[in-house]
Amino acid sequence: MAFDPDNYGLRLFVRYLVLCLIALIFIFPLVFMINSSFKPDNQLLADTSSLRAFVPVGDISLNNYFGAFRRAPVGLFVLNSVLVTGATVLLSLLICSLAAFSFAFLRWKGRDVVFSIVIATLIIPFETIAIPLLLLVSKLPWIGLEGLQWGWLNTYRVQIIPWIADGLTIFLFVQYFKGLPGELIEAGRVEGASWWQVYYRIVMPLSGPVLATAAILKFLVMYNQYLWPLIVVQQETYRPVMVGLGYFFQLNVAWGEVMAYLTLITVPVLIFYLFLQRAFIASIASTGVKG
Amino acid sequence: MASKLTLSNRTGWTFALPGFALIFTFIVLPFFFAIGLSLTNQRLLSPNPTQFVGLENYRQLLDFAVVTLEPERNEAGEVVRDEAGEIQYPRLRAITRSDDHPQYRGMREWFRWQSGENVRVVIANDVVFMKALVNTFLFVLVVAPVQGGLALMLALLINQKLRGISVFRTIYFMPVVVSIVVVSLLWRFIYDGQNGLLNSILQGLSFGLFQPVDWLGEPSTALPAIMAMSIWQAVGFHMVIWLAGLQTISPTLYEAAAIEGASKWQTFRYVTWPGLRNTAVLVLVVITIQGFALFAQIDVMTNGGPRDSTQTLVFQAVERGYGKQDISGGSTISVILFAIVLAISLIQRWLTRER
Amino acid sequence: MAEVSLKGIKKSYGRVDVIKGVDIHINEGEFVVFVGPSGCGKSTLLRVVAGLEDVTEGVIEIGGRVVNELPPKERGVAMVFQSYAIFPHMTVRENIAFGLTIAGASRQEKQQKVAEAARILQMEHLLDRRPSQLSGGQRQRVAIGRAITRKPAVFLFDEPLSNLDAALRMDMRMEIGRLRRQLGTTMIYVTHDQVEAMTLADRIVVLKDGQVMQIGAPMELYHQPANRFVAGFLGAPSMNFLKVDVLDLDGEAATVGNQSLEPIRVTTRRRPFRKDGKAILGIRPQHLRAVQSGKGMLHGVVAHAERLGSETVVDLTLRDDRELIAAFNEDKIFQPGDALELAFDTALAHLFPEEG
Repeated sequence: MAFDPDNYGLRLFVRYLVLCLIALIFIFPLVFMINSSFKPDNQLLADTSSLRAFVPVGDISLNNYFGAFRRAPVGLFVLNSVLVTGATVLLSLLICSLAAFSFAFLRWKGRDVVFSIVIATLIIPFETIAIPLLLLVSKLPWIGLEGLQWGWLNTYRVQIIPWIADGLTIFLFVQYFKGLPGELIEAGRVEGASWWQVYYRIVMPLSGPVLATAAILKFLVMYNQYLWPLIVVQQETYRPVMVGLGYFFQLNVAWGEVMAYLTLITVPVLIFYLFLQRAFIASIASTGVKG
Repeated sequence: MASKLTLSNRTGWTFALPGFALIFTFIVLPFFFAIGLSLTNQRLLSPNPTQFVGLENYRQLLDFAVVTLEPERNEAGEVVRDEAGEIQYPRLRAITRSDDHPQYRGMREWFRWQSGENVRVVIANDVVFMKALVNTFLFVLVVAPVQGGLALMLALLINQKLRGISVFRTIYFMPVVVSIVVVSLLWRFIYDGQNGLLNSILQGLSFGLFQPVDWLGEPSTALPAIMAMSIWQAVGFHMVIWLAGLQTISPTLYEAAAIEGASKWQTFRYVTWPGLRNTAVLVLVVITIQGFALFAQIDVMTNGGPRDSTQTLVFQAVERGYGKQDISGGSTISVILFAIVLAISLIQRWLTRER
Repeated sequence: MAEVSLKGIKKSYGRVDVIKGVDIHINEGEFVVFVGPSGCGKSTLLRVVAGLEDVTEGVIEIGGRVVNELPPKERGVAMVFQSYAIFPHMTVRENIAFGLTIAGASRQEKQQKVAEAARILQMEHLLDRRPSQLSGGQRQRVAIGRAITRKPAVFLFDEPLSNLDAALRMDMRMEIGRLRRQLGTTMIYVTHDQVEAMTLADRIVVLKDGQVMQIGAPMELYHQPANRFVAGFLGAPSMNFLKVDVLDLDGEAATVGNQSLEPIRVTTRRRPFRKDGKAILGIRPQHLRAVQSGKGMLHGVVAHAERLGSETVVDLTLRDDRELIAAFNEDKIFQPGDALELAFDTALAHLFPEEG
């Protein structure tokens, strides 16, 4: 068939049209959320019957944001989430990569059994162990500044420590480490490096991609935590953002404030995502290829 | 047999121990707790001591039976009908509360169907659990193929070489990074019965002919509505996994197909699809496992209602174990759920085994 | 500098025996090359010396010290790998200084030793580059630089040149020869390339299936191969092997021949043969020369000829349909189908027992 520029242009146009329409489907709830956060309740609800729902028109103000801050300690919730997420991500990267290093490079008695157990945990959905885990953490000891205490409920540690190590993160590290050229590790050994030195002087500096992947996956899980903090944290002081939503559904529900709060806790993640979208998508893809 | 030289027992354990200890304490141990608790009658604040009850909890959840109700007959032996001509049947209670059938005691009707003159009634010990079980399977059976298929279509769409294609990829993936709790709340506006966005759009498209539906308030539409939203939220995730699979297919295969004169469909059928076989299994399994863990959407959107039409296994496990403090009941549901997930994982291993 | 001694080394992975009892003594300052086809166990043997693998049986001594249980860093060895194994996240300078950094050397010491290594390898201008900015040859130099800074007692090279292209390989080969004279350290070098083995080694160890076939100086191996394998492995094109009948035996020599070979007398080198039995006659292609009709010992027909300029390699079909390669050190034109008669100096021929 001869090359027909008009036909080609038309087909290109149709392609982009399809892509754009699908994009609308994925983006409209978020556009609605952000726009609604600026509207008073009555207008917000009335606008949902027309396309006005998706444009910032009418009585636009930041009142909902002020209202949200009055209704709930938003800053505290965000701080808690950032703290818990940050601490978990960092500890997870360290502890999981160390364990994976051991599985990938070292030979020791019991290694294969231990690794099999770690991999087997991949198919235990968290939801199935939430209740027994709750019982467990409610009785665990802790030595803090005030001496020995029992029970981890209503703390940061209960939101952090159980989430540090998981089979998927360790598995991703192991896969990546096994793909590194083995001669680099042997060269390090011949040059006199201890295993610890091999870990932090050779392997870690070469693990940028897998560190990003593990950090992003853990970040998504931790920032979006809902069920677990819901059942282990009753005190406002330690609540993360998703559980903080409950404040907006007590007594009279002010939808504008809900939207403002949702925007506040979602948009920073979206911006973070837009900046690092390549890394985000690569991290999900890498969980898939290796399966 | 390795010597001291290549065996590093101490270092190996030292490096692996923190991670393994955490996994053991916070995943493996609770998992065995769950199994143990499911064999007891533990409640959180019970005055009675905890007892070992064996498989009683499983029987309580899973026990069901089919009973037949025969039409009521008058003295002449004729079938009694009401004014509308409907056949009259005895009340189910006549069986479930009768001393003649102690095995049916306490069971309630799950569903019934007509069989000739008779009615067959499926009665179950725990109808809510049964509904949760069925809903969960229904959710998975619908979402897995639909989400997987749509994700593949999006992946093929995004895999084109077009200027700015990565912008679209970024947008399609966006809902994945948003919390499912936030997404569920937003979709309550979309599904709202009065002036929800969905009703407004459908009315606009049909020039006002469309009658508004309370999507989450109707037993017949609530679960499909949650399915649609769940598909919307995670389809980008699976699109990316498909994309990764597509990119493992060597470009030379496409070039060879083009030289052989294959059509677009033939190229997909004979080059693309065979290369995606393992990805397909993976996508289906991941969706399935995620589907069985369905919780947040229910908790935020419907609380299992209306009329238990959106009950799910995890929602029930949490509601009983945490809400009603029926630890053993919640644990039993968890163990059943785990058994299902395990079975699916084993099927996956079998499907992707090395040949 | 140190001597290295391998005594009764055996190594198995599960049921698979990779090294089946190897004894090698390497003198101080000697350059020894392990050579053999892939899978012969030469790399494993080197890794055993390095301490990257343990042995199933046997004793390894470096400088008179048993090192079986010692980790690599306590053995005083340095190693250059086939893939260079230089650290991509460090500059050339950091790579060369890596061993010193690990050992906790002072900044001054590091600077001095890196400078020295850079001078020896002529790469002062590359010190601040990253490995990704280097060519293959330069990378291999960095790897060698890293190895020499620590002044090891023994240098180990694991096929260091096989990732380089042909021209570069020759340059680096000469460089390693120069380095070897400069440093005078004991070196063990593994390769599958016989040219590297012949040109670099004081002594060559030929390995096959985990066993030593022969140990000796390159020319000793070339001229007096202990067996058919060594004879065939060294020299290019490979030695011709002809199946011959043993017609007569008298003390030091045997008379052999077959339908394409006139009867000749060849020394037996005390190998056992039976009269009226079979034997294998080995003739290097370079030892064959074309002669006038009627004066040849071998009669063949040209099947194919390759002109290389400096020599001409001819593939012949003999009367019994067997193949023979002849190499003439001049440029000559042959046409397929040409009849050719060949002769050779019987003193240069080798007679091997028929394998069985």
